[in-house]
Amino acid sequence: MSLDLENKLAEEIKSHFLEAEVKVQRKSRITVFIGRELMIEIARYLNKKMGFDQVVSVSGVDKIKENAFIIVYHIWSTSKKVLVTLKTQVPRDNPSLPSLIKIFEGVNWHEKETHEMFGIKFEGHPDLGRLLLPEGWDGKFPLRKDFTLTQ
Amino acid sequence: MAILHVSFGPQHPGSGPMRLILDLEGDIVVKAVPDIGYVHRNIEKLGENRSHIQNVPVLERISNIDSFNASLGYLMAIEEIMGITPPPRAQFIRVIMSELNRIMSHLYGLSISFETSGLLAPLYWGIADRELFLDLAEMVTGSRITYTYAMPGGIREDLPNGFKEQAIKTFNYFEKRLDEYYDMIFENKLYQMRLKGVGVLKPDDAIKLGATGPTLRGSGVKVDVRADEPYATYEQIDFKVITENAGDSFARTLVRFNEIKESMSIIRQSLDKLPEGPIRIKAPLRTPEGEAYARVESGRGEIGYYVISDGTDKPYRVKISAPSFRNISVLPHMLKGAHMADVPIILFSTDPWPFDSDR
Amino acid sequence: MPVGKLVAKVVNWGRLSSLWPVMIFNGCCDPEYMSLLCPRYDVERFGVVPSLSVRQADLLIVLGVVTEKMGKRIKLIYDQMPEPKYVIAMGDCAISGGVFWDSNTVVKGVDKIVPVDVYVAGCPPRPEAFIRGIRALQDKIRKRGLK
Repeated sequence: MSLDLENKLAEEIKSHFLEAEVKVQRKSRITVFIGRELMIEIARYLNKKMGFDQVVSVSGVDKIKENAFIIVYHIWSTSKKVLVTLKTQVPRDNPSLPSLIKIFEGVNWHEKETHEMFGIKFEGHPDLGRLLLPEGWDGKFPLRKDFTLTQ
Repeated sequence: MAILHVSFGPQHPGSGPMRLILDLEGDIVVKAVPDIGYVHRNIEKLGENRSHIQNVPVLERISNIDSFNASLGYLMAIEEIMGITPPPRAQFIRVIMSELNRIMSHLYGLSISFETSGLLAPLYWGIADRELFLDLAEMVTGSRITYTYAMPGGIREDLPNGFKEQAIKTFNYFEKRLDEYYDMIFENKLYQMRLKGVGVLKPDDAIKLGATGPTLRGSGVKVDVRADEPYATYEQIDFKVITENAGDSFARTLVRFNEIKESMSIIRQSLDKLPEGPIRIKAPLRTPEGEAYARVESGRGEIGYYVISDGTDKPYRVKISAPSFRNISVLPHMLKGAHMADVPIILFSTDPWPFDSDR
Repeated sequence: MPVGKLVAKVVNWGRLSSLWPVMIFNGCCDPEYMSLLCPRYDVERFGVVPSLSVRQADLLIVLGVVTEKMGKRIKLIYDQMPEPKYVIAMGDCAISGGVFWDSNTVVKGVDKIVPVDVYVAGCPPRPEAFIRGIRALQDKIRKRGLK
């Protein structure tokens, strides 16, 4: 199965963002790792110039041993049929990064849920309130690794 | 005019376990805020506490009328990390069960949407005809709605004798019934008047706001995971991606109705092409380190599974991107400016299933 | 038979033949409940018809998993129902938490919120098991209802 399209897209991203680590995993899967200050710029480039239009998922990953959170955006292109996995890292004691809501309107609820479950702040998001947890929840973050389920 | 706050659900004949907080000015909705979380079980955290085979029954219950598709996505991600591919016979049977689930899920969603549009008899027709497909699933797996049938490396058991004949008999009967449904429901002038032009979603807004599945295809956007990124054996099967251009509630409901016929055709082709052979290969107990993102087309839209493995037999992180989570977040845009009586019509044309939006 | 006992027998027979459940669908046993209303299992022949108002219902069927957020609403609905009222806990999740036993938002059994009359086990229970649960509730009303 040829990976010409994926390799071409990866080359284009690498040439415009020299600090990014870009890798083609398999057909229709490209992974990009970049620092949090460049997130808005690369998201705007992927959306406006390369045709990636739908954010299908936003996840947080708690790397407690490395004292960091990794935030992962999965962005799909309906025209090119390729998925880009955009990852960035923030320190665990001050987890905040700019929100991509002005570029991708569809990340609204995804970022809200990630904030509720991990405590990661998305700067510029209009409403990071309660979404899934019950009213009167005591404020702990359920998906962090130091939150244990009650027996 | 003063604003009236109305709470639509969670105890309501037409809402399911979610709530819509509506701000009404007279009869028109000016703002709608969905309130979800009534069935939040924190399944993503539970997934980190269980091994892969123990996770299959838990993950099935995020979307239990479409449970095979829900568990299939997780297994595809795990198999990609392990680097194994199930044998061809298992892949064809997975497609058969997946399409059978799609028919059941659409019949359930359509019956509920007929009831909320004012047609009571089609609710009973739809649920009664769905029983025939539950019988087919029970023949294969032993259970009606939650199966735990697929496992890492293949499927649990082979198809029984007599399944093909019973399936063809059911499809021949049901294809005639679909024509009856169309004449009685979709040609009904009252039904058309209630649904046409209500809750219009333009294609650009649909893509931008993150809609998926029939909600997206009802606005004319041709996006379907089975055609964009074929998994299992969809590449070897001829099928059409059903779209409608109007973008209103009638179009979305018609897309789901037409997909039933397409699913029956896919199952017929799979039964004809089914090869002999083993039904599973041995999967290692511990997955190597790695991560994968698998996408599956379920009845409501795309389910995405992002699984990270750290070398043990339990996943490090399971992230589920659920179709109803995305579709319900588009509702505030669709409900703005609608009449109060149209709120259930628009809500059920997007086929919400709060169990997978809350997980 | 003394008049009081005859009246009690008739009243009990009236109550058990027309159990009207509240329309609340809180858990994933909901599709099996919808199958009950369909022509094959037809629970209406036992008198069970979904009631359109909470204030005229006498049966609360808890259909599966109860989270904290939904539990508050279930208690509110139970308090709004008029006497006599009955509760059926359907599914393993409503009995003890079921397959989500270690979750932090699930209530481990709806009998921590409302008193339960009949437990129907299964995940989800088949419609036949549920009909057996309705019959058990009817027996309970017949034997231990009004005296």
